[in-house]
Amino acid sequence: MLTKYRITIAAFAIVAASVIVGCGTSSSPQNAAAPSAEGAAYRLTTEPAGAKGVKETRADAKDEQEVTLVGRIGGDANPWVEGQAAFLVIDSALKPCGADEGCPTPWDCCCDPNLSPETKAMVKIVDGSGKTVSMDAKKLLGLKELQTVVVHGRAKRDESGNLTVLADGVFVRN
Amino acid sequence: MSELFLREKSVFRLRLLPWEYGIRNLFRRPTRSALTLSALTTVVLLVLVVVAFIRGLESSLAVSGDPRVVLVYSIGASADIENSAIPARTAALLSASLDGVASRFGASYVAPELYIGTKVQATSNSPGMFGIVRGVTPATPLLRRQVQMLEGKWPGAGEVLVGRLTAAKLGCDPHLLQIGQTIRFDGHEWRISGRFTAGGAAFESEIWASLADLQNALKRQDLSLVAVGLAVNASPSDVEMFCKERPDLELQAVSETVYYASLQKHYQPVRMLGWVVVVLVAAAGVFAGLNTMYGAVVGRVRELSTLQAVGFRRRSIVISLIQEATLLSMTASVLASAVALFVVNGTAVRFTMGAFALRVDSLAILVGCGTGLMLGLVGAIPPALKAMRYPVVEGLKAI
Repeated sequence: MLTKYRITIAAFAIVAASVIVGCGTSSSPQNAAAPSAEGAAYRLTTEPAGAKGVKETRADAKDEQEVTLVGRIGGDANPWVEGQAAFLVIDSALKPCGADEGCPTPWDCCCDPNLSPETKAMVKIVDGSGKTVSMDAKKLLGLKELQTVVVHGRAKRDESGNLTVLADGVFVRN
Repeated sequence: MSELFLREKSVFRLRLLPWEYGIRNLFRRPTRSALTLSALTTVVLLVLVVVAFIRGLESSLAVSGDPRVVLVYSIGASADIENSAIPARTAALLSASLDGVASRFGASYVAPELYIGTKVQATSNSPGMFGIVRGVTPATPLLRRQVQMLEGKWPGAGEVLVGRLTAAKLGCDPHLLQIGQTIRFDGHEWRISGRFTAGGAAFESEIWASLADLQNALKRQDLSLVAVGLAVNASPSDVEMFCKERPDLELQAVSETVYYASLQKHYQPVRMLGWVVVVLVAAAGVFAGLNTMYGAVVGRVRELSTLQAVGFRRRSIVISLIQEATLLSMTASVLASAVALFVVNGTAVRFTMGAFALRVDSLAILVGCGTGLMLGLVGAIPPALKAMRYPVVEGLKAI
């Protein structure tokens, strides 16, 4: 009889523990993971001041100008570049596809009619010599889709108005 | 002492029936053996055909991609190049902007292409079938290295090249696609100037026309894709980076191997269904084999009891029955493999993306012969054991 109670209590404890752990994981999917040893130098612990959105920065920033950009990782089904510390960010005003849309990649914001090239920017993490770090940004900085990041670096503009930020530091807001 | 030991040892040693006994038995009932052999051959052949289908489909998509080639196409086209439309200047832009593009004797490995699916008529009065037409330039063979001209020449104005499997894709007589013949699509007549093969790749079922000619015929100035060949020190991510840095162009870059791997995923349900059919056919074969063997063994109860009466152990008789069945099933496997290799192998099959050839490779032979062996073993054991449960006296009296 006592053994039966023990088994019941143990089973209840296991179920309760898995529910608690499960809830904890799903309620904060965007919690920033720790950066790699190489990425620690590029991960900022305090948020840089004066961050502007992607649209605003695209409108104002000049080539080679120092910028602080805030945006959300996404804008494409695959916002990453394989083997390179580079990723796409979109203006935070864009809404990711809702859970009821059935979109497998909500971070591409394909359901938002405001998605356009003017709401996208590329972020490249560069080393001291200005070369893009040869490691996936996800591994280097512990990033994932839909995280809001504040990036500090230098703007690179082209004749078509595209914006690339050659970043020396990334702060993860959430 | 040692003589006594040897005599005892020989008493307990398993005395098997002679190998020839089993073989002679097969010829004693030639009609039954022939029918069983035909049934087993059919089962193994069915398994081989299904596995050849799966292997042909897999191989066609696997050999189509080159890891040194990156496909650049419209971001809105998702994984379907046919829906892609990108500006004609993209090829020149990529050639000028990318550092890692391969080149030889001044020719850049950048091939602009137009890729369409359209109704193609092999004769003027035929209803026409859906075919794949690719607009190409002389740079295309630099990137599609599997492609080899079988006969004829590169297409000039109003001319096309046809692949080895184009006739299968169009469902027409291959003689209608000989050099000098004319085919019709998009309101124009095109003379066949040559034929090519592509080592089993998806290109083999396509029709290739000059890009400029095709653009004129379709009244289109855009492209479907640009294929970029990478230099030794470059990686596909360099092209991917360029496309992501230029969101205004709305381009995406996908390694050709990744593109065809994604198509393989698309056909995963078909492949799974194929393997399910293999299992079902094999299971049906086992049941048919069981039925035949039960009939064969039950009809021989008297003979099997006599063998027991003259001193053969039950185990020896079971082994002999399994030997007969296995011999028959392996003969069936060899026959089915021969038919598959000489008749089925290379047969063209049409599918949405083009056509592919059934492929009877080593894996197909292994699966086919494995099924044959299983039919022999599994099909013989239960009836043989059942027959051995008969009491010898009753068995001897059986008619």
